[in-house]
Amino acid sequence: MAWRNIWRNKTRSIVIMLSIAIGLFSGIAILALYAGMMNSRVRTVIDVEVGHLQIHHPEFKKDYKPEYTIHDGLKMLKSLTSMPEVKLAVPRSIATGMLSTPGGSSGVQINGIIPAQEYLVSKLRDKIIAGNIFSPAKRNQIIIGKKLADKLKLNIGSKLVLTFTDSSDEIVSGAFRVSAIYQSNNAPLDEVNVYITMKEINSMLKIGDEFHEIVLILKQDDYMDTFQSRLSKRFINSKIETWREISPETNLLVKTTDQYSYIIMVIVMLALAFGIINTMLMAILERTKEIGMMLALGTNRIRIFFLVLLETFMLTFVGTPVGILSSWAIISYFNKKGLDLSGMGNEMMNSFGFDSMIYPEFPVDKILNVFLIVFLTALFSCLFPALKALSLQPVEALRR
Amino acid sequence: MDTVIDAHNVSKVYNKDTIPVYAVNNVHLHLERGEFTALVGPSGSGKTTLLNMIGGLDKPDEGNIYINGQDITQLSANALIDFRLRNIGFVFQSFNLIPVLTAKENVEFIMQLQKIKRKDRDARVNQLFKQIDMEEKLNERPSKLSGGQQQRVAVARALASKPQFILADEPTANLDTKSASNLLDIMARLNKEENITFLFSTHDQRVIDRARRVITLVDGRIVNDTSVVSTSHMEDKLHN
Repeated sequence: MAWRNIWRNKTRSIVIMLSIAIGLFSGIAILALYAGMMNSRVRTVIDVEVGHLQIHHPEFKKDYKPEYTIHDGLKMLKSLTSMPEVKLAVPRSIATGMLSTPGGSSGVQINGIIPAQEYLVSKLRDKIIAGNIFSPAKRNQIIIGKKLADKLKLNIGSKLVLTFTDSSDEIVSGAFRVSAIYQSNNAPLDEVNVYITMKEINSMLKIGDEFHEIVLILKQDDYMDTFQSRLSKRFINSKIETWREISPETNLLVKTTDQYSYIIMVIVMLALAFGIINTMLMAILERTKEIGMMLALGTNRIRIFFLVLLETFMLTFVGTPVGILSSWAIISYFNKKGLDLSGMGNEMMNSFGFDSMIYPEFPVDKILNVFLIVFLTALFSCLFPALKALSLQPVEALRR
Repeated sequence: MDTVIDAHNVSKVYNKDTIPVYAVNNVHLHLERGEFTALVGPSGSGKTTLLNMIGGLDKPDEGNIYINGQDITQLSANALIDFRLRNIGFVFQSFNLIPVLTAKENVEFIMQLQKIKRKDRDARVNQLFKQIDMEEKLNERPSKLSGGQQQRVAVARALASKPQFILADEPTANLDTKSASNLLDIMARLNKEENITFLFSTHDQRVIDRARRVITLVDGRIVNDTSVVSTSHMEDKLHN
């Protein structure tokens, strides 16, 4: 009876069902878009910026003092490379200092790298947009980010001076020539990170074969937490951190984005709820006499309440599969082809650390929550019309 | 004889706080099982109000109404709903069938409320549709039926719960002569063959002519209560 009732006014019911389908599509599309953006951001953090885990001297990150190299770093690196969970283990020497040119200066983090290994862990080679990678035949080469190059008006071949303190707290400086300019999806990092060879920075810092950081890329993301605790127990003189600890802003973003998505979805459904309430109130108003007759014949009020409840749920849930299926189809398409948001401003996206090409992901794990939101919407929407129906007195209703 | 309806001192007052208007004023009414009674009177005389109170749809401001010995004025709203379901059949002027249900489903609806098993429901529906001569229209929706047919389905629906009596508010008002006559034949037959008690409110002379008792209401008061002994009725009595 409830099912037949919702088809009394086909146009009205179809409009409300389509509204629900479109509302759901919008909600799921927002979830998918955010999931795609967050996944892309997390992958960038792991694959390009931070790695799964990083190992430092426990005191190093407090002041970035050059003397805080990793204890028995080479031995640890060898041991890590042989572990089955580890895909890549790459060392870096790090100093913070000043990059100066005749036109200006800027504070930078100088990363001393082993080029062949660094290309694998941070994809530095892929990010180069001008110039050439380190040439073994040349000395004092430096790779800088585009943002820094623009700021200090540096080009390929430009000369600059790096100044920092060595492990004996002596100020050291060296002249370098720009061999390449890179651009990543994270403009703020491009402005501060510069790369020279580990051999050269270690010589200037006077730390020999030691280094300050080991970046670990694991074979699977799932290994990260258990592997971290294993390593922490094994290398007690070192600090082992996951990307979540190193890049807490990304972790916070991932956590809060889900909440924002749900809030947007709840707002969309709340707006729809008023449409459903209106439809159901109209339906009750049109059937006042009929409901009065049902009460007169002996239909109890609980049954009337459940009839209205059932009609509202049917009205709501018929649109649900349409919304879910259409969003699944469209999201799957863009998941393969990608959604180019560069029109929104490539620079703006990059300044927040996001790629402008997004691959939305259908939020399978959140579909239950989506159903819960739809269910609560239907429940919320039916209450007022149902109470209206319950308040009818048979004699008055029959008179209309 | 078996008393079905017993109304004592029943009054219904509107505008109690300003100028009281008595829709029903101190009415005493006594109906035995098997009566075929018409409640007549001009518009506004209180026929429908009295019928609503007897049917438990409205509460009197004064007096008591006993149905089969049970004072329904003392029942709660929920108890009244259940009481109506099990004891009273209603036939309304504008048929009031549920448009989304077929004729059969409309009649079954009451039995579903009474939680009667499907097998028993089917048997009862078939019997009722035979009695109203509409076996071929079982699966038609009300919109496909004529006014007379819809009212016959409404009578079948009223009978479905095997009530103590049937209250019919202007049952022939929206019917043409032939349909009205047909409907009255069916109701008279049910009354005669199954001893079902009918109480009509009506303006319709055709109904009044068929009634065996006519109660006249004016300004909420019973001004006349006449038992009519028709020829056919007398013949029935003589045979018995």
